Amino acid sequence: MSDLTLFDIPRLFEYQFFQFAIIGGIITALACSWVGLFLILRKQSMIGDGIAHTAFGGIALGLFLGINPILSALGVSVLAVFGISFMRRKGMAQSDSAIAVMLAIGFSLGLIIISLADGFNVELFSYLFGSILTIDTVDLMTVAILGLITVIFLSVFQKELLAMTFDEQDSRLMGIPVTPMSMAFDILVAVTIVLSIKVVGMILVVALMVLPGLAALQLRLSFRGTTIAAICFGGVSIFLGIIISAVYNVATSGVIVFTAAAIYIFTVLYKKLG
Amino acid sequence: MFKGKPILEVSELTVERSWETIIKDATFSIHSGDFVGIIGPNGGGKSTMLHAILGTLPMKRGSIKLFGKSIRNFKDWGKIAYVSQDAINFDHNFPVTVRELVSLGRVTKKRMGRRFKKSDWEAVDQALEYMGISDLAKKRVGHLSGGQKQRVFVAKALARDPAMIFLDEPVAGVDAHAQERFYKRLSDLNIKKGKSILIVSHDLTAVFCRMSKVICVNREVHCTDLTAETDPNHILKKAYGEHFHFVFHKHECAGVFDNE
Repeated sequence: MSDLTLFDIPRLFEYQFFQFAIIGGIITALACSWVGLFLILRKQSMIGDGIAHTAFGGIALGLFLGINPILSALGVSVLAVFGISFMRRKGMAQSDSAIAVMLAIGFSLGLIIISLADGFNVELFSYLFGSILTIDTVDLMTVAILGLITVIFLSVFQKELLAMTFDEQDSRLMGIPVTPMSMAFDILVAVTIVLSIKVVGMILVVALMVLPGLAALQLRLSFRGTTIAAICFGGVSIFLGIIISAVYNVATSGVIVFTAAAIYIFTVLYKKLG
Repeated sequence: MFKGKPILEVSELTVERSWETIIKDATFSIHSGDFVGIIGPNGGGKSTMLHAILGTLPMKRGSIKLFGKSIRNFKDWGKIAYVSQDAINFDHNFPVTVRELVSLGRVTKKRMGRRFKKSDWEAVDQALEYMGISDLAKKRVGHLSGGQKQRVFVAKALARDPAMIFLDEPVAGVDAHAQERFYKRLSDLNIKKGKSILIVSHDLTAVFCRMSKVICVNREVHCTDLTAETDPNHILKKAYGEHFHFVFHKHECAGVFDNE
């Protein structure tokens, strides 16, 4: 446990690293929760998990080649999205099998690169499990730009995505270009996962996407209300997670996801008892 | 009998699924203002024909024109609305209110990415009012009864102000009373709002009492204008076989829907 007490919390906000962590975390929560709600409703949580594991290969490749691992993870994840779509379209594999194939390729690529190049295991560890308290200006800018792309896309095309999620066939008949929109959404999932890697790491990123949405769904609100609730739950999870982990000196990503899980359990109990 | 402009022209349409012919050489046309019932036995190809007309199933042979344009080049999807057979069987935990769902009817390719204007919400509220579900606007759709859900989906179709509405067995699983009211509202839509309607239905009484045209589908397709002289049994035997007999008296039509 650290030397900090609960009374020291306001003082934490004076430190730049803490300000960066809070700002980066809130942007991540907004993007993750919003995209995650659509993932749940489209019954596509698996694609999030698949892309997150594929990003591992991208991180390892970036570290090996000496380029920004976040950008290399983004490139590999987007390639994985195209790969999954290609396999589905050509009838090479069903959706879940195509995701499994891309997951296997990405993860095995990462393992091969790690074994070829000794020396970046510690750095790789920070991408696997997140290290939000160490994000620098470049990381924060990357998170902000990717977050902004996600939020703008969802704000502009929320109606179309909702229509597609509710009834894909009807959406085709409305003239909505369902296939390109689905592809764009999958790329958005890849972008969101990559921007979240520094916050909670690639292992727990899907939990941060799914848990706030699942908790919000327990409240039986309108779509607008559910979206706002999911974003609030995601934000609270990250905010509390950062503060609790700083005070008690425990893994930040673990506390963030554990807080999100606690909120979910609380809402389930509220629904059962309410 | 006055006929408006042809809005759907089907010529020698043949549809195959898994190398089996489901629809063979269908030829008919639907005019503006028509209220058309598609009837036939289960597995006869009613829904298949509807999907081919809407371009969601490929045709083996023939041609389909919607509003004068081949279905292959048809882009004016705002002119039509479709209520599917499975519309009410969605995930009942889906977080959407009646007003939110009906507003999705305003989403079209032309309006993609644009925020709804005041006129969009006015169209949504008018559709809710027309279907008599304004009081349900803030309720979650999953919490409604089958009949109420059906009205929500028709309101969604109406919100886009289409010239033609396609409905595929929309009253399946809805009680008889709600069915009667539903057909009454469709008649109003056709007569008072001038919407052309094409509906797949098993309710033969509703079809012969309310509609202007009937299409019998059982692999082969027969289209007949309904007049006071039409003998339903003559038409029905084409689809259901010679043994089929439907007890129907025209004078009963006025009293069929007692709640009108």
